[in-house]
Amino acid sequence: MSGNESAELGKADVDPSVRQVCANGICMETNVVEAKLDEGNIQEAESALREGLSLNFEEARALLGRLEYQRGNVEGALRVFDGIDLQAAIQRMQPSVTEKQPSKKGRTRSIESVPGVSQHAAGLVLEAIYLKAKSLQKLGRLNEAARECLSVLDAVEKIFDSGIPDVLVENKLQETVTHAVELLPELWKQAGCYSEAMSAYRRALLSQWNLDNDCCARIQKAFAVFLLYSGVEVCPPSLAVQIDGSYVPRNNLEEAILLLMILMRKVYLGKIKWDPSVLEHLTFALSVCSQTSVLGKQLEEVMPGVLNRIDRWRSLALCYSAAGQNKTALSLLQKSLHKDEEPNDVLSLLLAAKICSEDVFLAAEGVKYAQRAITNAQDSNEHLKGVGLRMLGLCLGKQAKVATSDFERSRLQSEALKSLDGAMALEHENTDLMFDLGVQYAEHRNLDAALQYARKYVDATGGSALIGWRLLALVLSAQQRYSEAEVVIDAAFDETVKWDQGPLLRMKAKLKISQSQYIEAVEPYRHLLSLVQAQRKSYGPFRNAPQVEDDKVNEYEVWHGLADLYSSLSHFKDAETCLDKARALIEHSADTLHIEGKIMNLIYNG
Amino acid sequence: MSGDIATTSTTPSAVATAITGDEETHSTSITTTTSTNKPHITWSDSYTKAQKAIQSLTSILPSIPPSLSSSETPASCLLRDAETAAQISNLLRQPDSGAGDDNICRWLYDTFQYSEPELHIVVLRFLPVIAGVYLSRVNLHKPLAGFEAVLLALYGYETSVRNSQSVTVNIPDLSHSSIYHETNKAPKNSATELNLAVISPSLEPYGIVRSTKRARIVAVALELYYSKLPQIPVESKIEFCEFCKIWSSGHGESSGNEAKKSIYMPWELLQPVLRILGHCLMGYKRDEKLYQSAIGAIGCLYERALHDLNTKAMLATGSLLQLVKLGAESDEVDYTEINIESNTINL
Repeated sequence: MSGNESAELGKADVDPSVRQVCANGICMETNVVEAKLDEGNIQEAESALREGLSLNFEEARALLGRLEYQRGNVEGALRVFDGIDLQAAIQRMQPSVTEKQPSKKGRTRSIESVPGVSQHAAGLVLEAIYLKAKSLQKLGRLNEAARECLSVLDAVEKIFDSGIPDVLVENKLQETVTHAVELLPELWKQAGCYSEAMSAYRRALLSQWNLDNDCCARIQKAFAVFLLYSGVEVCPPSLAVQIDGSYVPRNNLEEAILLLMILMRKVYLGKIKWDPSVLEHLTFALSVCSQTSVLGKQLEEVMPGVLNRIDRWRSLALCYSAAGQNKTALSLLQKSLHKDEEPNDVLSLLLAAKICSEDVFLAAEGVKYAQRAITNAQDSNEHLKGVGLRMLGLCLGKQAKVATSDFERSRLQSEALKSLDGAMALEHENTDLMFDLGVQYAEHRNLDAALQYARKYVDATGGSALIGWRLLALVLSAQQRYSEAEVVIDAAFDETVKWDQGPLLRMKAKLKISQSQYIEAVEPYRHLLSLVQAQRKSYGPFRNAPQVEDDKVNEYEVWHGLADLYSSLSHFKDAETCLDKARALIEHSADTLHIEGKIMNLIYNG
Repeated sequence: MSGDIATTSTTPSAVATAITGDEETHSTSITTTTSTNKPHITWSDSYTKAQKAIQSLTSILPSIPPSLSSSETPASCLLRDAETAAQISNLLRQPDSGAGDDNICRWLYDTFQYSEPELHIVVLRFLPVIAGVYLSRVNLHKPLAGFEAVLLALYGYETSVRNSQSVTVNIPDLSHSSIYHETNKAPKNSATELNLAVISPSLEPYGIVRSTKRARIVAVALELYYSKLPQIPVESKIEFCEFCKIWSSGHGESSGNEAKKSIYMPWELLQPVLRILGHCLMGYKRDEKLYQSAIGAIGCLYERALHDLNTKAMLATGSLLQLVKLGAESDEVDYTEINIESNTINL
């Protein structure tokens, strides 16, 4: 086209502000033709063009339609296009059966069957249909628009029956095809025909249209967005499109993630420009799937210089922390909190403190982060002060566990409680904080306060969290209020399904043992045993996971507990059987040896 | 589809039993309702069912637009009638709503049990209000069996539609060729391990709402809502956004008397909430009011994620907020428009 254009420009020194049409090396101003059109006299306008530019009927009509469209008169354009029998024109351009070559490979098939001249004609007709579709779109007649647009693509597929070759295609024709491929799914979407939109997208991406990289990327992104957010779940791509065991997505999310990953890869292969929204869409998709470690890998592959490095470290830290890879997350945060980077970033400080609060050996480091977070929680971050206090409390509490003296421990625990209380004053609806306070008070042996917070937590969560029930029962049993603890456990049984009752059964058994009701403790142990064995058989990724990972009761522990129980009941044979079972799971352990010793002691020393 | 409901254990009678067990004082009324609903009674067609639903609504609402009762497409009219929807929402928000003998809950329950796809949407349209009011009240020690019956019906339906199966996603690995890309690398022997993500675990039939399963039941009802999003009226989605604000922060617009406080939001509940909000924000039909409402809701959830230091939620909500920002910065170019800048038209 550029060659064409320069030729024209060389020839005509007409004022560029005046509209003109050019064909066959002749240019003419359009004012006369436009005047005729304004009078509604299409035929006269057409003959003026035919004479002026030596055109045939279809060419003149196509040019007129384009002129009307360009003038913004889409209704006029439609009237002009209606005068051409586009379908007949398409039919004429199809290669006749004899011309068809029995070639199978799409890429190698050339355009020879369509002579060069008719390629030009094809371009003209297809542009006319395309503009008809655009005109209909502008008039809000979306279904019709989509059907016209679809006929462009159908025609192209008939003319080039195995895909458009990479070369030898006239620019204008390619441009029309590209436009139509991109427009069709948009039209179906606007018309509310979602499954048609979905197939239009797939057709755009799976057939050979010889699209340029940018256009292909735009369609891939638009399709991914449609898949992610439309809420329309239509059937996955058929297996028929699969080539040699290649991956075929099975649902919307898989297809969206695949497309977004491909777009990310195209960026680092240098095929397309960086588009920050692609990464955000991918972040959303992968985080709702809880696949943040995959997201982390994607972020790591982003070329340096594209993202701000501190932002990248922080995002990576979020990804790895969400995926439970806290060590990696912490080392990334340490980088971003380095004195030369952003040492006072409140979010990074809080996150670092949170990670440290989960490890006794990091707790002291966490205290420092939390303190810095509190100091820096100002202005727009002031609302995070309570979070800082909570993290400080948790880190201090953790630090207390490895204190070197009783005095030190007591001091740290009091400080921890002070911080948590301070956080409570700011975050009084935060249920996690209620739980933390319950635990912390319990560890400080202030059982009344612990009980109060445990109750508060169960109440605020509406009994939704199993750990709440367990904490409440534990605190009661620490107060030696065993029967009340049992009432809590029984209430918790009512609020849980059998599958999740493992931890409750274990507590029930232990409560019975604490009250020396050994016989009554056997029953919950038996239930526990059958539950654990059933779970071992059927745990898979599809099962409901327990609310918290350590809610899983392991089989070894059950056999061991049961052995202990039987030895207390002097049922030594049963106890031995249980010990055998326990040893089959873990061969050497202090626990089993201890029970063995206990049994020996009971047998020989009475 | 109509037979499915009856085969799960969340049949009307099971729910009735459940409610009987849960809340003895209110058992009789619901039992009567559900007994009219036994599978052996069949209505001739969807028109009659919708008519019947409208008819029973007349005894509950103070007024019903005459256009509704005379409509030839009663179900879709019922779905679109804003005035009726507002009246129903208002009843659901009353301080004493949601008990076992609540007429409007009973109506929603019955309407859902007609097993008519369009009537399902009518009921789902009110899910934001039901779930919203319900979750805000769970610790107020009020009778909520009416809400729970509706939620269990939705849960039971989704369970049967999904055949109790989990929903999973195989995270693609680009080192394998896919339908959309080719790779030069020779395929590694068999499948390199795909990351399997469980979007929604397998479903078990529940006859009652146990508190540790409450979030899950509501979440599955929201998953059903998600799957019907294109058919759901925009007002319902706006209500959903408003409840998200209340759930996450205790603040937000609410036209009723429901308690305004933040609620316990485990990930299993948060995840479908985020997916629905993603749609409200990025769905293809841009509705300005919904868009603004969704931005507000996501902002609140982002702040909540910060306060809980919930990293996964921070990433999901943060990315949506970032997309809003990017959308505001970019100017839309229509790539499907032909070049109309030049005054010279070439053939």
